[in-house]
Amino acid sequence: MAFEIPKIRYTGKIEEIVVGAGQKAVRVGGSGCYPFCRFEGEMPNPPKIAFEVWDHRPEDWQEWAIEPYRDVIHDPVAWAKKSIDVYGAEMIALQLKSADPNGMDRPVDEAVKVVQDVVNAIDVPLIVWGTANDDKDADLLRKAAEVCEGKNVAIGPLSEKNYKQIGAMAIGYGQVVMASSPIDVNLAKQLNILLGNLGVPDEKVLMDPTTGGLGYGLEYTYSVIERDRMAALTQEDVKLQRPIVCNLAHEVWKTKEARLKREDDEKMGDEVKRSVLMESVAAMTLAFAGADILIMRHPESARLVKEMIGELMK
Amino acid sequence: MLVYTIKFMPEGYEAAANDGDNLLEIAMRSDVYINASCGGNGTCGKCRVKIVEGQVRAPMHSKVSREDYDAGVRLACMTTVHGNAVVEIPPESQVDRAALGRKAEIRHILSVLGDRDLMRGWGVDPAVTKLYMELKEPSADDNVSDLRRLEREFQTKYGRTDIAIDLPVLKTLNRTLREAGWKVTATVMETDRGIGIVNVEPGNTEARDYSIVFDIGTTTICAQILDLANCSVVKVAERGDNGLDLCTVAELSDYNGQIRYGDDVIARIMYSRKKGGLEKLQKALVKTMNGLIKELLGMGGIRAEDITHIVCAGNTTMTHLLLGINPKDIMLAPYTPAMTAGVSGFGASGGTERSGASGIIIPPFRAKEIGIALNEHGRLFVSPCVSSYVGGDIVAGVIGSGMFREEGISLYMDIGTNGEIVLGNRDWLMCASCSAGPAFEGGGIKFGMRAGTGAIEQVKIHPSTFEPMVLTIGKAQPAGICGSGLIDIVAGLIETGLIDQNGKFRRDCDTARVRHGEDGYEYVICYAPETTAGRDIVITEVDIDNLVRTKAAVYAGCKVLLDNAGLSYGELEKVIIAGGFGHYIDIERAQVIGLLPELPMERFIFVGNGSLLGARLFSFSKDLLREAERVARNMTNIELSNSPSFMDEFVAAMFLPHTDQDLFPGVMKRLKNSG
Repeated sequence: MAFEIPKIRYTGKIEEIVVGAGQKAVRVGGSGCYPFCRFEGEMPNPPKIAFEVWDHRPEDWQEWAIEPYRDVIHDPVAWAKKSIDVYGAEMIALQLKSADPNGMDRPVDEAVKVVQDVVNAIDVPLIVWGTANDDKDADLLRKAAEVCEGKNVAIGPLSEKNYKQIGAMAIGYGQVVMASSPIDVNLAKQLNILLGNLGVPDEKVLMDPTTGGLGYGLEYTYSVIERDRMAALTQEDVKLQRPIVCNLAHEVWKTKEARLKREDDEKMGDEVKRSVLMESVAAMTLAFAGADILIMRHPESARLVKEMIGELMK
Repeated sequence: MLVYTIKFMPEGYEAAANDGDNLLEIAMRSDVYINASCGGNGTCGKCRVKIVEGQVRAPMHSKVSREDYDAGVRLACMTTVHGNAVVEIPPESQVDRAALGRKAEIRHILSVLGDRDLMRGWGVDPAVTKLYMELKEPSADDNVSDLRRLEREFQTKYGRTDIAIDLPVLKTLNRTLREAGWKVTATVMETDRGIGIVNVEPGNTEARDYSIVFDIGTTTICAQILDLANCSVVKVAERGDNGLDLCTVAELSDYNGQIRYGDDVIARIMYSRKKGGLEKLQKALVKTMNGLIKELLGMGGIRAEDITHIVCAGNTTMTHLLLGINPKDIMLAPYTPAMTAGVSGFGASGGTERSGASGIIIPPFRAKEIGIALNEHGRLFVSPCVSSYVGGDIVAGVIGSGMFREEGISLYMDIGTNGEIVLGNRDWLMCASCSAGPAFEGGGIKFGMRAGTGAIEQVKIHPSTFEPMVLTIGKAQPAGICGSGLIDIVAGLIETGLIDQNGKFRRDCDTARVRHGEDGYEYVICYAPETTAGRDIVITEVDIDNLVRTKAAVYAGCKVLLDNAGLSYGELEKVIIAGGFGHYIDIERAQVIGLLPELPMERFIFVGNGSLLGARLFSFSKDLLREAERVARNMTNIELSNSPSFMDEFVAAMFLPHTDQDLFPGVMKRLKNSG
């Protein structure tokens, strides 16, 4: 008898979720096998990269991170358009950093105005990422859901504390939600159950498992995504059969290793190459674990990751 | 024997009742909702019903007008039934079940199971007994010593030669014998090393043979006086129906006097490390015990000198503190107690009645040696422990529940200040302890209290008006909430949709009872005018969090223990529940909150205070004392703190009923129907 590669028998399938509207809407999820294990099952949608755009000029970015966006970094709409037109972004992730109460604490209305401007200016799907402050987001993301009516955007993060307020608006305006839980498979599932009880349809939920940067807890995220996928695909845990979004750019780029210049420490080598690789490796690792949407910063790292995903999907 | 049929209109639901049963209680246990918020003491006047026909008795009441009274209106809580009856529920109390899609169900409320059933197969044969003997008076040709005379009697009458006596008894022997005219009663104690003469008293006192048994809890101490002389009578005649009361003369409980030095065992151990701390703790405990003893003796009209022995069962720390042994190493890794053997006179291995056991035994000593104010001779027995955090209370419960001699596999769970669980059968036993928190004993709950008079014990919440139906222990004015009340309330809140599966209140419900209080969102169970303290009794989100944590720790502990044994819940033949959370536990409600696994109702047994139950049996039977030593020694202790899966299971169980909803299909179906 000829040798046969042992195969995993899958019993579940990840929900396929559409983000965005119109021709450039994106499908994520839908897998019936572990990531890239296409010899075992279907993987209809490769992981997607969302380019991050901040709602306000970033204060503490490295020069080499600003460089690709220097001409547009003061203007979220132009920034988003450049990411799409020049760098080929398939999705935009708008980070509402300026509304953070621990930072600039810009009023909700101002931040929502940015959301409205961006969503109306682009034709690719939009992800609206809040401040991760439960109370502020409850207000901010509700209004964001409202102004994006008809655009089928993804809004989040929703926590156990504010899922109701945001979830109810998302149902009303037909948006996708991103359910966020602190690196724990049970907590992730609990929030999905609560969203289900609230009436959010299964095909409108993405999971955010909380992302650690490379060298700063990535392995925890890796293993929790892995467990989410095992439960979803082999243990028929329907409440975990949701695509996963990883907001990784911020986590990678804020680290010391992504900031140090060659002149600070010769051993660390070229800073641009180093930080681009750190972002790419983090993104690829998460894709291997099971991430479906990767929120990234540098066009070069995005290009590398897209190329590698393309190779793996051949 | 349920003799009458009570029909509740307009639904026509029929319930069975005994003569003299309280109407509100009948309704509660039959899942018939009637508004009631004062716990059943007749002050709120909300539980108005109309007696259409039948034999009931109820006094006139200021809340019911003469006119209404004549028309048959009564307060359910003040009404007793004395024949078949038809009762009409007024519109404000009615529940539209059609809208709920479910029928009235008989609630599966388990009340405490007695030890009569459990004692089957074990003779009543106490370790301490009284023997009446008439000695031959000394004469010129028979002038052997008094002690030799006593020895001769034991040899000829009982065939025993392995006898010991100590100085205090010896000192008074000659006087007692002569004053009593050589007719005396000897109190003897059987151990693995033979028998010891505990006391010699004049005349025949065999009929006055009592013991006191204690459950020494971290929070509460319970005690009973047992009538051992009568017990043998019961044994012969096979009489007595309620096992827990079997031969019980009086029962009392009180808070452990050590509470002021700390709420849990760790706080007590910390205190014992202070200068003079150990002595203070030991004294506080003994003081509580002495208070209980005095009161019990008064209640039973029993003389202190007729108490032949005391049996105590407590956790490992309490056992150390009782004996005045420093417990500090219980707290420090690798968590070694000074001793786990019981003070029983029996060893864990070998040992027939005559040959004696191998290894070290601890003979019971005079209770007065640790300061117990009783008499000169009464001996103190203490249940053996297993490990630092599985103590004598659990061993007593395992013996009391009889699980150690069953072929089928049982799970024993004691839900007290700590949650301890034991899994196994007659061939093997495993145990674990999880720091569950004292929620079910009222700790960490704003209006929590132990199961005493005025404790809210049973609650139903109306599915559309969200008004509660409240019954308290003793139908007294509500003072607080005990464990079984908490289970009922939280289950009721989730069934009516007032809280989510994460235990958080819904903020958009149409009821004034859910409000924002000083500790966040809360549900009002009783308004101030109805309560003893004149304050609203509420349950807060913080309380619910604490309860969820407690139940999650217990459930997760059970799961890990089962996993360790390679078993699943379905393979359990019995689930034995012990704990001081109330007189009842509603199994279905406990399943709704995910405290108990979803198994068929008949597999559950509620033994109430398992520790006290075991202590009783130790007093009744020396065979069980010996068994306890063996069982304690052979139990495998699993340290949950070392178990990697415990934390995971714990988080999974921190949801109502559980994150893995497939484990609770019945509950999920019910929630879906009512939600």
